[in-house]
Amino acid sequence: MLTRGTLIYIGQRLVIIVFTVLVVSSIVFLGIHRLPGDALFNEHLHGTQYALILHHYGLDRPLWDQYTSFLSGLILHGNLGESLVNRGVPITPLVLREFTVSAEVGLFALVFTIGLGMTLGVVAAIRQNTWVDYVLTTTSVIGYSMPSFVIATFLLLVFAVWLDNLTQGTFYFQIGWTGRFGTIGEIWLPAFALGFPYASIVARLTRASMLEVIRQDYIRTARAKGLRETVIMVRHALRNALIPVITILGPLVIGIITGGVIIENIFGIPGLGKEFATSILNRDYNIVIGVFTAYAAMIGVANLGVDLAYVVIDPRIRY
Amino acid sequence: MATSVSYPTPGPGPAPVVATAGIQAPVQASLWSDAWRRLRRNRLALVSAVYLVLLVAVALIALVHTPYSYRDVGVARPYSGPSGANWFGADILGRDVLSRLMVGAQISLIVGVGTQVLVLAVGVPIGLLSGYYRGLFDTVVAFIINVFYGIPDLLVAMILLLLLGPSLNNIIIAIVATRWMDMARLVRGQTLALREREFIEAARSSGAKPAKILFGHILPNSLGPIIVQATFGVPAAILFEAFLSFLGIGVQPPTPSWGSMAADGLAAIRIAPHMVIFPSIALSLTLMAFNFLGDGLRDALDPRQKR
Repeated sequence: MLTRGTLIYIGQRLVIIVFTVLVVSSIVFLGIHRLPGDALFNEHLHGTQYALILHHYGLDRPLWDQYTSFLSGLILHGNLGESLVNRGVPITPLVLREFTVSAEVGLFALVFTIGLGMTLGVVAAIRQNTWVDYVLTTTSVIGYSMPSFVIATFLLLVFAVWLDNLTQGTFYFQIGWTGRFGTIGEIWLPAFALGFPYASIVARLTRASMLEVIRQDYIRTARAKGLRETVIMVRHALRNALIPVITILGPLVIGIITGGVIIENIFGIPGLGKEFATSILNRDYNIVIGVFTAYAAMIGVANLGVDLAYVVIDPRIRY
Repeated sequence: MATSVSYPTPGPGPAPVVATAGIQAPVQASLWSDAWRRLRRNRLALVSAVYLVLLVAVALIALVHTPYSYRDVGVARPYSGPSGANWFGADILGRDVLSRLMVGAQISLIVGVGTQVLVLAVGVPIGLLSGYYRGLFDTVVAFIINVFYGIPDLLVAMILLLLLGPSLNNIIIAIVATRWMDMARLVRGQTLALREREFIEAARSSGAKPAKILFGHILPNSLGPIIVQATFGVPAAILFEAFLSFLGIGVQPPTPSWGSMAADGLAAIRIAPHMVIFPSIALSLTLMAFNFLGDGLRDALDPRQKR
């Protein structure tokens, strides 16, 4: 699987990712310094105090000078600077920690998307034109025509508010995050809300391609051989029905990453998305630059991962 | 729309014999009347169309009259639920939710339709030119399109809004920047396919200028897919605006947007669930209506296409 060609391909892609990350952070860095507004404004600083802090952040130097030192810090030390609002907080460890939180939610959502979507799709295909099929198909129409934050809001309303009122507080979903990483009890609802719209798409695709596959000759042959129905469905049918699903894996992963921005803000998850919204509102421009840089890297790596997954799943693909 | 298509036998189908002067194509068999007949049979699309007409009416009424001003605070007790005086309740500052929803409908429609007009203005000429002339221009366009597809749209829009500043115009610009490629690619593909057809060759050999061929023959013949694409683009843009406003980088207060209203409501979800429910319902219904209408139009305009 890991041929020399694949390794060269991975190397090339990594170079492109690094380049993209540098371009994105440069655009944001140079653009953001043109903006009006000032993170230090609220502190009502004057005179030498203000000048000292400006000097601390290097904001008194010419823009080009600031930019080159930002770029060299980023390339040589992976250093993204220091928060403007929470003075003394270095951004790189902060962003890395939030990245792992976002990745955790995203992976859970991906599990929901693929697992739930494929199960529903297969069940709907096997029970075609029964009430099971109709219920599942209708649910998936709702799933992909409603925006994710509406779905998330209604889930929150049902599980965190109404369930709480109904059971007098004995059983409900606790909004927010207690530890560094969420527990399963804290993560399942946001992951479900994030994955459900995409699960609907996966379910629709799986159903359509399963319907096509189970009518083919080799399935009839498998039945004639006397194989059990579950073996036929899982080993023979599902494998080939997977191919159209795999083709949307790329857009799916990107959708989950960007959709996570909203979901994290709704459910109070301390990930990159929450930091993004907070830092923009606080005008903490150094963090904004850092978050954008992290997102560009995350998306690049995710895309590469998807492309490599193709190689593993479909032996016909070679790089 | 039908009036713009006055030459013989437009649309997909067996390649037409070049019309000899004087013979008129039978009017009742035109693509558009066919499509209209098929669309009328699609209940879901019709219901959606009626809903959208009502929505436009509400948005127009909101220009001249809303129950309260959308920005007047304290017209009701803050967080108070639906009542006779405030049908959809009041928000955190005691502003009337119904009035704000009505003005929010204007914002959504302006963003949805405005972006599609711009997407058409940018994407159609680029697609026509690169599909018709091919060569270097086409290569450059294809490269740019691929670059844009490589960057996630939310990231592009957020960077643009951050740099341009949040205003309605800039929101539209940011959404267009992430959506024009779809239209350009579609029109390019249509042009590539159509330019090889006999009626284009006939037009060319009878001395028609490129502009006449592009806008008189190729464009009208690809109107069907373009309309479908633009219809699907409207809900995508509305959703995008709601997303951005939900995050606080879209439409700025006091102007209401369904997205920012939902965000406000979310903060008070325990004590005033109506604040988040009504904008969410309005947004979901609108998105679904546009999507169903798009489905209906696609089936009506291209009945042979497999879903």
